[in-house]
Amino acid sequence: MIPVMASELTALSRRHWLRWLAAGALAVADRAEAAKKRRTGAKKVSTKGKAKPKGKSAKHAATVAPEPAPLLPPLPIRERRLANGLQQISVVNPASAAVSVQVWYRVGGKDDPAGRSGFAHLFEHLMFKGTKNTAPESFDRLTEDVGGQNNAFTAEDMTVYQSEVPSNHLERVLWAEADRLAYLTVDDKNLASERLVVIEELRQRVQADPYGRLFDALAEYSYSQHPYRRTVIGKQADLEAASLADVRTFHSTYYRPDNAVLVVAGDFDPGQLDAWVDRHFAPLAAPATPIPRVNVTEPLRSADRRVVLNAPQVPLPALALLWQGPPANHPDAPALEVAAALLAAGESSRLNEALVYRSQIAQSVGFSADLHADAGQIVAYAIAASARSLRLLEAALFTELQRLGHKAIAAAEMERVRARLLTGALLARQTPQGLANALGEAVVVYGDARAADRRLTRLQAVTAADVQRVLTHYVLRARRVSIDYQQGRAA
Amino acid sequence: MIHHLAFSLALTLLTGAAVAGTPGLDEPPAAQPARAIVVPTMTEQRLANGLTVASSARNDLPLVSITLMVRAGPEQDPPDRAGLAAMTAALLTKGFQRGSVNVSATALAQQAEALGNTLDSSSGWRSSSLSMTVTTTHLSAALGLMAQALRQPSLANDELERARAQALDGLRLALGDPAEVASQVMRRTFWGTSAFGASPTAASLARINRADVQRFHARFYRPEQTVLVLVGDVNAENALALANMLLADWKPAAAAPSDAPVLTKATALPALVRVDMPGSGQTAIVVAAPFVGSGAPDRRIGQVANAVLGGGYSARLNQKVRIEGGKSYGAFSQVESQPDAGALLAVTQTQHATAAEVLAILRGEIVRLADAPPSADELSARSANLVGGLARRLGSNGGVAALMLGQYAQGRPLEELRRYVADITAVTAAQVQAFARARWSAGTLRSVVAGDMSAAGPALDEPGALSLKLPALDLSRPDLVTPQ
Repeated sequence: MIPVMASELTALSRRHWLRWLAAGALAVADRAEAAKKRRTGAKKVSTKGKAKPKGKSAKHAATVAPEPAPLLPPLPIRERRLANGLQQISVVNPASAAVSVQVWYRVGGKDDPAGRSGFAHLFEHLMFKGTKNTAPESFDRLTEDVGGQNNAFTAEDMTVYQSEVPSNHLERVLWAEADRLAYLTVDDKNLASERLVVIEELRQRVQADPYGRLFDALAEYSYSQHPYRRTVIGKQADLEAASLADVRTFHSTYYRPDNAVLVVAGDFDPGQLDAWVDRHFAPLAAPATPIPRVNVTEPLRSADRRVVLNAPQVPLPALALLWQGPPANHPDAPALEVAAALLAAGESSRLNEALVYRSQIAQSVGFSADLHADAGQIVAYAIAASARSLRLLEAALFTELQRLGHKAIAAAEMERVRARLLTGALLARQTPQGLANALGEAVVVYGDARAADRRLTRLQAVTAADVQRVLTHYVLRARRVSIDYQQGRAA
Repeated sequence: MIHHLAFSLALTLLTGAAVAGTPGLDEPPAAQPARAIVVPTMTEQRLANGLTVASSARNDLPLVSITLMVRAGPEQDPPDRAGLAAMTAALLTKGFQRGSVNVSATALAQQAEALGNTLDSSSGWRSSSLSMTVTTTHLSAALGLMAQALRQPSLANDELERARAQALDGLRLALGDPAEVASQVMRRTFWGTSAFGASPTAASLARINRADVQRFHARFYRPEQTVLVLVGDVNAENALALANMLLADWKPAAAAPSDAPVLTKATALPALVRVDMPGSGQTAIVVAAPFVGSGAPDRRIGQVANAVLGGGYSARLNQKVRIEGGKSYGAFSQVESQPDAGALLAVTQTQHATAAEVLAILRGEIVRLADAPPSADELSARSANLVGGLARRLGSNGGVAALMLGQYAQGRPLEELRRYVADITAVTAAQVQAFARARWSAGTLRSVVAGDMSAAGPALDEPGALSLKLPALDLSRPDLVTPQ
């Protein structure tokens, strides 16, 4: 624990603004300052990098047990769809004089054109570079300059734009979101300068962070066929190859009202919101052409694999283990989330307790199920404590996984994890931004805004037997990739 | 200046003053009337033993954020024991005595998580704290647990050894990251031999023994030094009743501390310190300039000046370095106010080859504020950004609690928060300029760069600069250099 700066109003958590986001770097939040914690393994049980449901979801849903009873009064969700296909989701909460406006586009890193890894994310940056009607950085004039804020992130299956403003500015942001959806203008100069920014972002996340290269490498070992194997941040050479023509094609292909979900949460008048949405979004036309979709099935892994990764400036060696996970909307997803929380969320979680606290063989540990629309990865990682070998670490990690998979789980331990997951979700919903995030994720990942509440109910209904079944199926009896990460000359 | 012409032109286009547009069609529609920012009632009460009970009720969710904060932190570390306050705080969650029973670290963590959340400890200037957020039904049980952990921690030897091993590994990780290295080197560079210049080192952590921790706890963890902050689904009356039930019997074990920390500030380090980290992925840059202390009457002016420079995405540093230059993912500044003095810190990361150029931009923008005060639009945008930051924090229990705790750690009254919006919006461009002119000139700046110096090239090799390789860095020494 290193002392932190005395916190002044102007310095809220800014100490962390340079930090890597989280294990796996799945969601790349961009307008800086999204003060995220350094990966701890514990904090990122589920990341933003989730995905929209596909056709096969209906089949899975049919196998689900009867729906458990809800624990909370349902969110008062309002839903509309305009004739041009735009989905509108909103929840009124006048507790503060702020409103969050988010647009969730169903396009992400998996849709990067061939030879253009990182393009969806680069494009996200360009969405701040002006339109037919506005100058570059106008979103900052409409948000930050009036006391609000804006950010955006790109994940495997989605690109999300998030603004939060004093509620009297709601219509202005709606106008601007519609404006950049329809009339984005990008020139060579903007593309060149923003490309440099993204390459510095890549250097900061992947090269300057001592463990950046490890987390950047996970995707290519997790997936053999699916485009998820390219990271969202991409490769420098691919970023350098991106052209203005790529930008125009991408915008017209994916940025259309029938590929977008508008989410509004906070202080607003519902009738007025609908009128404003009609005024600014209804005139936008959806093209008649179909939206291209990735349709690649990730094959089942047939063999275990060992990999050694060397990098400069690695203070302590680390280990990552990768297994294949189900898609995000699979009925097993809640049990995997609970398993991840039992293993790595909080100091009394299994891996923290055994590896960091009791035997002190790890400096830190993590376990997460990163489930996307088409496929998922399950990651366990540990940074070795000083002078501890990776083999010892690996053996201890497996001992804990076996114990969770096969030995009885105390009812009190299940209760602790349920309580923790519920409190976390309630806390996140306190702000307009957090509420809008939960709604957007529910629609885009699970296909229904009401899934925000349903997900909590399902998490609470997960039993110890469910946890042991999914852990056995997806981890203990499955093929894995083991990565040793250590200081040395890269191969 | 070109940037500012472009900036005002953009604003002109947006507001439609020069070019006739149609609001809601080819320019943004007009804003509606604003809702006022309401700072919630914050009540401060005191127990007979001197413990402060501060609370603020918010009833939209059945949740309460609870913090017990002792007003002492690393500024009280003995000079050769940097890390003692942080180590003591870390041990608060590692078990306590309940009568003759020893509640282990694991049992404590499990009891806390059964109440719905982790028990977190933290350490900062003038602050050592325990915090938890629980649903209302668990409030009393959670505060009871926290009170015991704060008052009777076991401070066990094996836990100290664990915490030390973890802190040492944490230090190793930090020293692999150029941003961390630059920030810690700047601390010593700016604050010199004062308590605020210290960072824990492997040697200082190795010296801390159990008696040190026990002494620190006995000396500073006292009811009259402690604040209980409750925010959320609890009213002032219940807050006081709870505190009386769980904390009123707390009597301090030792005499009150009398000596204030030594604040001599002597830095003999040159204006630029270069730390060579061969193979690092980027160069991290920190530039520091003098700032005011936490009680200074012109502190709000200084905060606006910081906001103009680096407080947000559109502020001058990020405008120059990222938006116009494409040279970094972000460049920002923050301020740190101690009782009698403060620091403005401008921070960024860039590729090695552009490090010298970006360092010049940071220095140049800080100094330029004395000659180029903010325009009316710029000032109003930066003030709105500060006010909006306050409004956002008022939107959650944790945010309100952080504001209240910040006031206590700074030794400032809660009442000040009520005046914040008026005080910030009253700051003028001329005041900002005068503030900058009085403090920020080329001669008052201190800079630290950490990265691969051979890749950065000779442009960073300024006359008089202190150059050292990472293995030779000793943060405990005023000159930063390990003796040969």
